[in-house]
Amino acid sequence: MPFNKPVPKAGAAINELEIGVGAGAVKLGGESVLPFYAFDGEIKNSPKIGIEVSDLPFDDAPDGIKVFYAGANTVAERVAKAAAAEGVDFVCLRFESADPNGADTSEDECAKIAKEAADALGDSKALVIVGSKNADKDAKVFDKVAAALEGKNVLFVSAKEENYKTVAASVGLAYNQKIAAESAVDINLAKQLNVLVNQMGVQNQNIVMNVGSASAGYGFEYVVSTMDRIKSAAMNQNDTTLQMPIFTPVSTETWGVKESISEESEMPAWGSREARGIDMEVMTAVSVLASGSNAVMLRHPASVAAVSALIKALA
Amino acid sequence: MNKIIFKTANSTLAVAEAGTGVNLLALAREHGVDIDAPCNGNGTCGKCKVRIDGRDALACQATVTSDATVEIPESASAFKTGIKTADLSDGRELAIFRNIQQQLAEFPAGTNLSVVSVQLSEPTLDDPADDWTRLSAELNLQSASLFALSKLPSALRENNWSIDCVIRGDRLIDVGANLRLCGLAVDIGTTTVAAVLTDIQTGEVLAKASAGNGQIRYGADVIHRIVEAEKPDGTEKLRSAILNTLTPLIEQAANSAGIPQTSVYRAAITGNTTMNHLLLGLPSANIRLEPYVPAVMEFPVITASEAALPLNPDAEVLIAPNAGSYVGGDITAGTLASLLWKREDSYALFVDLGTNGELVFGSSEFLFSCACSAGPAIEGGDMSCGTRATDGAIEDCVIDPETLEPRFTVIGNVKPSGICGSGYIDLVAELFRTGIIDARGKLVKQSHRIKDTDGIKSYILAFSDQSGSGRDVEITEVDLDNFIRAKAAIFSAIRTMLAGLDFTVDMIGEVLIAGGIGSGISFSNAVTIGMLPDIELDKYRYLGNTSLAGAYAMLSSDAAAAQVTEIKRNMTYLDLSTHPGYMEEFVGACFIPHTDAGLFPSV
Repeated sequence: MPFNKPVPKAGAAINELEIGVGAGAVKLGGESVLPFYAFDGEIKNSPKIGIEVSDLPFDDAPDGIKVFYAGANTVAERVAKAAAAEGVDFVCLRFESADPNGADTSEDECAKIAKEAADALGDSKALVIVGSKNADKDAKVFDKVAAALEGKNVLFVSAKEENYKTVAASVGLAYNQKIAAESAVDINLAKQLNVLVNQMGVQNQNIVMNVGSASAGYGFEYVVSTMDRIKSAAMNQNDTTLQMPIFTPVSTETWGVKESISEESEMPAWGSREARGIDMEVMTAVSVLASGSNAVMLRHPASVAAVSALIKALA
Repeated sequence: MNKIIFKTANSTLAVAEAGTGVNLLALAREHGVDIDAPCNGNGTCGKCKVRIDGRDALACQATVTSDATVEIPESASAFKTGIKTADLSDGRELAIFRNIQQQLAEFPAGTNLSVVSVQLSEPTLDDPADDWTRLSAELNLQSASLFALSKLPSALRENNWSIDCVIRGDRLIDVGANLRLCGLAVDIGTTTVAAVLTDIQTGEVLAKASAGNGQIRYGADVIHRIVEAEKPDGTEKLRSAILNTLTPLIEQAANSAGIPQTSVYRAAITGNTTMNHLLLGLPSANIRLEPYVPAVMEFPVITASEAALPLNPDAEVLIAPNAGSYVGGDITAGTLASLLWKREDSYALFVDLGTNGELVFGSSEFLFSCACSAGPAIEGGDMSCGTRATDGAIEDCVIDPETLEPRFTVIGNVKPSGICGSGYIDLVAELFRTGIIDARGKLVKQSHRIKDTDGIKSYILAFSDQSGSGRDVEITEVDLDNFIRAKAAIFSAIRTMLAGLDFTVDMIGEVLIAGGIGSGISFSNAVTIGMLPDIELDKYRYLGNTSLAGAYAMLSSDAAAAQVTEIKRNMTYLDLSTHPGYMEEFVGACFIPHTDAGLFPSV
């Protein structure tokens, strides 16, 4: 008897969502098969990679990153350089300096920087704006930046439980940009925030999920399980409140763990700090992609190249 | 020594002498001054606030340093006097109780007690047999209580040798004229105690009484009580606290029924596992320690004298058996009264709402039980303006969707000073319905009734100038969080239990709600907030105090008492704390009405 390969049929698909305009626009999601299961059906849009650029200089960064950005002195110049790196699908501009506990850059200044960066990019690559992790400040920054970038179809990362009302009203409704809804590694919390943002009037098709992450080895099994179950609920149970593509900011997790920050002088047995940092970033990124993330944010150009090669090989 | 005067606004309660460094709350307890301390002196609940020489302080955190006058606010001892309990004192409760009484009538009435009238021949010089020999020969008795023997000579002589004898088996336990077989059913709740005194033969209710559980001064929930009992002499302290509650209660009931307390020949006591352990002075520590095994599940027969209850010393005290550490005799007896175990045609869910919510699901074929820790929020505990259902408590509420102005009813028709459980259920449902809060319980509308104190928003029901407490009666976002967690605990327990049995909510034929909080509960509002499953509202029925009704049945009938034990043995206990799916269900339920909106189509 001949072997007939069973093909699991998912009942529903992940929403397809576009960020950016023109030549640089990228599409996220749209699939109705498990991650990289090209043999089960078409993967409409392969996973995408965003490169992280902070609005602060990379003073503390490993040499490879410093070398990569050498000669770029403004945020706009760094953004332009980043966009040219191999394997990059979009650029993530992160307003690290806006944190009130840090430099506390004003929202107007952020809007100015964002505008310059967007002008430098032109239509070559899509832009994603990432906040400072301070929910109140992010709401203010996102409002001004969304206004400054009107019409650019930018994704804002992230709206959280504390600020989703302001973010949804300005970013989503007033300026018609895309929103990432961030929750803390829990399928129910992810769903709850999607429902709340949607109830503010933002269509599900304009929402991306940031379901939270961790560095590989740091309670990472919760991340895997959460993503697995979200994809299963979205595709097999047709749960429309979980059918948003998943965006996972990997770099902000992995570059803060001890494997990535301990200098070689402190941990001689561990070898090069830079190699470790890249390893952590690549391992975590590949794992979240295999668990269902539709896009990741990475910092090191070498990581971007490695993960991009993997996606090409598997897609 | 320092002189401490405890007083209310109007009168002096006690004058105490105390050394420097003595804790004020402990001193107050020692002198019989009741101060409500739900957290038992951990300084977390803020309910024991008193005024020391004009300054506010928490009694549990204060120590004696010099002479002082301590003014106790009225509200601090309100729990003792004003609690509205499900004790059959209002018509509705009584009607529900009568209904249960009727349905239990099919149990063969009959106990091992009987009362027999005898006429003995008087002794003479020729027939000098003693009183006991005469009586025991006549009635074929083998033994007698010392109490009965001591009464025998005068009873015979005062009544012309014609007396009534109360006999259990072949043992004499009382003698006298016109004896009536009386029984006492008691429900010992963590918060309140309710009792009825009945005529065992006719089933007639002769008297009823209720009071706050005196152990409350050692903490509002069972865990605090167990911790207190673990301290030196703690078990004895908690035992006397409940006995000191029961003794006047029994006295009061017997007086109003016009019978001597020694005419109570049988008692049935229902209570959760911790309550029955503490009543009998049994070690309770293992109830809260893994693997959560209590000292006794099925109690042997205990006599009133052993239990130190002021009844006939030979009275049998039946204690409803426990099904688990957190599913106690109140639930096994309550299940009997709910008639869940008799259902042939459909399955029913029995829910006892309280600090611990207990659930029983099943039919004549099987019984499944579990307990969830809802926390005190549903009873008004741990809430900024929470109160038990006493005078001044807001017990229901409606909010105008246009003006956002509330309308409410206050128990006792006084100015509002707090909100009780049923009031919170209505309030949260109305806040959600009018869009004042979002599904996570955050206040999202603007109104002069919504204020922001240090970043914590609240909705004000009654401004300070209209309230009985002199401060705003409000619900804060922190309260909303607590309340949503409490309702989520109950709903997720229901879901987890049903899922474990592969049942869905539409397979529930009836939902039977019991517990003190239930009397005023609006089922439609409880569904709106996602506390109870979204099924037809006519499937909900309020049963009142099923624990007391169960105790009553055990009292009147040996068959009913045996059935309670049978129920206990047939009951499967599901431990939610170790159930892998429970936490996820819980987080899903921490949303109004639920993260999975499909579970609440009508909301």
